[in-house]
Amino acid sequence: MNMPAPLGYGLGLRPVYYDEILETRPPVDWFEIISENYMVPGGRPLAMLDRIRADWPIVMHGVAMSLASTDPLDMNYLRDLAALIDRVQPAWVSDHIAWTGVHGATLHDLLPIPFTREALDHVVERIQRVQDFLKRRLVIENASTYVAFTGSEMTEWEFVRELVQRADCLLLLDVNNIFVSGFNHGYDPMTFLDAVPAERVVQFHMAGHTDNGTHRIDTHDQPVCDEVWALYEAARRRCPQASAMIERDDNFPPFSELLAELARMRAIDARVKGREAA
Amino acid sequence: MTLAELQARFQAGILTGEGADMLGLVEPSPHGAGKNELFGVYQNAYRLRLAEFVAEDHPGLAGYLGEDEFAALIEDFIASDPPRHRNARYYTTRLPQFMQESEAWREEGRALSLAQFERALVDAFDAADAPALEIGALAAFAPERWASLTFAFHASAQLLELAAGTLDTYVAATDDDCDELPEASEGVEHAAIWRTGDEPAWRELDADEWVALNEAMAGQAFGDICQLAAFQQGDNASAERLAQFLANWFSEGLVVGVAEKDAG
Repeated sequence: MNMPAPLGYGLGLRPVYYDEILETRPPVDWFEIISENYMVPGGRPLAMLDRIRADWPIVMHGVAMSLASTDPLDMNYLRDLAALIDRVQPAWVSDHIAWTGVHGATLHDLLPIPFTREALDHVVERIQRVQDFLKRRLVIENASTYVAFTGSEMTEWEFVRELVQRADCLLLLDVNNIFVSGFNHGYDPMTFLDAVPAERVVQFHMAGHTDNGTHRIDTHDQPVCDEVWALYEAARRRCPQASAMIERDDNFPPFSELLAELARMRAIDARVKGREAA
Repeated sequence: MTLAELQARFQAGILTGEGADMLGLVEPSPHGAGKNELFGVYQNAYRLRLAEFVAEDHPGLAGYLGEDEFAALIEDFIASDPPRHRNARYYTTRLPQFMQESEAWREEGRALSLAQFERALVDAFDAADAPALEIGALAAFAPERWASLTFAFHASAQLLELAAGTLDTYVAATDDDCDELPEASEGVEHAAIWRTGDEPAWRELDADEWVALNEAMAGQAFGDICQLAAFQQGDNASAERLAQFLANWFSEGLVVGVAEKDAG
């Protein structure tokens, strides 16, 4: 399979860190942007992106394609996205297995779907149409969910596996999302990891979440917890080439803390590689 | 139930804050969380996220209204209509219009003006780029042609007529060290908002500059603007003052193009 070249270790590009990134040139291999934040006419966001793009590879990650919505695809959105792709020339473009609204509304959240044949056919068809429009393979991410539907006809991993194979798209494995959804719905995250087609995984997301006791919420506002690091190691054993990154979207720490998380990621990978070589 | 029916019901449950319809469709939590609680994650996230968007874009309005009244405004706004734009950046665009149309808020002149002013600042922040022209660009035109010159302005440039005291209120309400807001006053004031470099900029305009800049931004030639000023202000309209306005617009980065009106 024709896969994008691995990028190494990245971070989510967030405005709070622009100046530090440009001044200190940190040891980060690549940055991921939230596509919609740069789908604006001009000003500082695009100016900063252009400067950072000059020195680092960029991956575009969207939150609003609403691939699972039963509303029509938003072609204006896709045209704007295509224009940004043209400007940024990203290594790849990703979005989620989720919907954000129907009847013209956009709730700015990644909403869950039932894992049914109908939903699978629907999302596969839409991914194919988007790929045809953008003339590139999409990278699709598993979302965190807080409810599971009684009407589901298959497991999430069965859904994801068939989805990426039928749509011939690639996979962004969010390790924290697997952990959060696994906890919330009572499945073993390892079962998910074992089931997804490792050969299609191009990227890992790692992030922190909030533990509310009876359920966990994907908040991206704290460090990655030890349980998710352990799951990352298992994911890395299955997908040695996947590019990996830390997402942080709130309660922003000093940049050095994110670099320390990347260092931990590198150390885990070195350990995994060492074991395999031994 | 089809996917479309499920999504319609799920969305209605988030927008109305009522989740009862959804509860029969979701699995029980393996850890004892109530179905209400789990669906509530989506309901709460929706309101919190939208409230954050409004708070980020309107610190002055928040400071002016105070915590409770600002929260009430946000609640009314969120309840009025769900977001329609894919980009969260544009959620608050409709706030001033919502306040104008709302019985509860339309009489709140200074609050409405603050919303309009902060809206313009947000729009200026990421308006389309264009390099500012230096005043030296005028040298390309013979002095006898200057009366026919028209000017193009940066896409971020906006002129607003605001309730008197809005600008001072904005300054006070966004200053952490300031405890007192200006007293209410009658009348109006005018402001220009634009972007200089990466950051939004603004300043209050005197009445004659407000008229001149309005006309210039509408595409009137400089000579026509001078004539209008003379008609409106008689002897008080000095050519030097209008020339100074023009020099300021250049130096402040407002002007991005100049052309002769008849040049087509």
